[in-house]
Amino acid sequence: MKIKQPLFPALRIAAILLAGLAWIVLSAAPADAPAERLPAPRAGFPAPPFSLPALSGETLSLSDLRGQVVVLNLWASWCPPCRAEMPALQRAYADYRDRGLVVLAVNATDQDSLEDATAFVRQNGLTFPVLLDERGEVGRLYLLRSLPTTFFIGRDGLIREVVVGGPMSEALLRTRIKTLLEETP
Amino acid sequence: MFPTLQLGPLAIQTPGLILLLALWLGLALAEKRSARHGVHPETLYNLTFAFLIAAALGGRLVYALRFPSAFAASPLNLLSLNIGLFDPWGAAFVGLLGALWYGRRKRLTLWPTLDALTPALAVLALGLGLSHLASGDAFGAPTTLPWGLELWGEVRHPSQVYETLAATGILLYVVFRKPAGEGRLFLEFLAASAGARLFLEAFRGDSFLLPNGWRVAQVAALFILGAALILRERRPAR
Repeated sequence: MKIKQPLFPALRIAAILLAGLAWIVLSAAPADAPAERLPAPRAGFPAPPFSLPALSGETLSLSDLRGQVVVLNLWASWCPPCRAEMPALQRAYADYRDRGLVVLAVNATDQDSLEDATAFVRQNGLTFPVLLDERGEVGRLYLLRSLPTTFFIGRDGLIREVVVGGPMSEALLRTRIKTLLEETP
Repeated sequence: MFPTLQLGPLAIQTPGLILLLALWLGLALAEKRSARHGVHPETLYNLTFAFLIAAALGGRLVYALRFPSAFAASPLNLLSLNIGLFDPWGAAFVGLLGALWYGRRKRLTLWPTLDALTPALAVLALGLGLSHLASGDAFGAPTTLPWGLELWGEVRHPSQVYETLAATGILLYVVFRKPAGEGRLFLEFLAASAGARLFLEAFRGDSFLLPNGWRVAQVAALFILGAALILRERRPAR
């Protein structure tokens, strides 16, 4: 039986769409897919763990901060946008620390002067933990390509956003922090 | 992956640079071919600018409406160049309204204008694939295939390469397609792009999933593919 001309396009389209639907079913994600990804420095992945000495002398581990919102900021004292955004970070820390915010400022000490970094922290009255990456270990772990780079990490330890470059506007900082603090664990 | 290009003290975001280049080249290509659709080249540029300006304003306004207290504390941030302070859906919606407003003002006819824009859209799609390659976004699912690439801790499908190859094929089709009826070129581009996404999404490692494991992007692509094919059949052939 010859298929009538007007019917042929409709049959062709139906066949294509059925094939598409079959592909969707065949390629559906398996029920036993692993839920956890390996740590990686990008949004949607667990933040790579590290331990570093702080300017205050104690050693701080990222894993100790699970359950809190962490703003991980990689910086250096010679970097103008890093210096420009520090006051906004300090203000946000002061306003939100009681709600579970931690700002971790990791100084790229392998490419900075400890004296200059310490002087900058003192002059600006920074009260959040300042960690010293003396061997560039966190820089390598987090694929640091540009200073500053900021990672917004949720209470579950997953990176939510990476901001490369700066200075970050205060509005951006506060909206991201607020969104993370309001997430239900 | 090459997310930043360091030029002395300047760190340029490579993905954004690629997209800007793609927009520029795409408009140049569309301009050369616009006459065959009866559309003036200047119209394409103006339409694009109307979309971009409306999108920029809309994206910032919607974002500010979502987080009014942050902007109340620092009102000057309304003028910030931070790309993170834009709402993408607000930008797309208001951008489209801006383009529609311009189109009505200039009494543009819909289908020839969409056909004239198609080469630019095809180049932008290629640019998107390349920008994903640069940023590591749109990454693939883990695989044991010999052409897998190590990315984000695992060997994965090079989904950004698949995407770029598909976009290249579609661009070549758009460039060499003989003139068809009004709207057919755009609808064929839309159908091909939706079909490519439907197929290639299966190899992505970052898909949003429905509770039954189906990928949201594939379901959306199926609907767009169906609509594009049906509309194409209704457009008169030349």
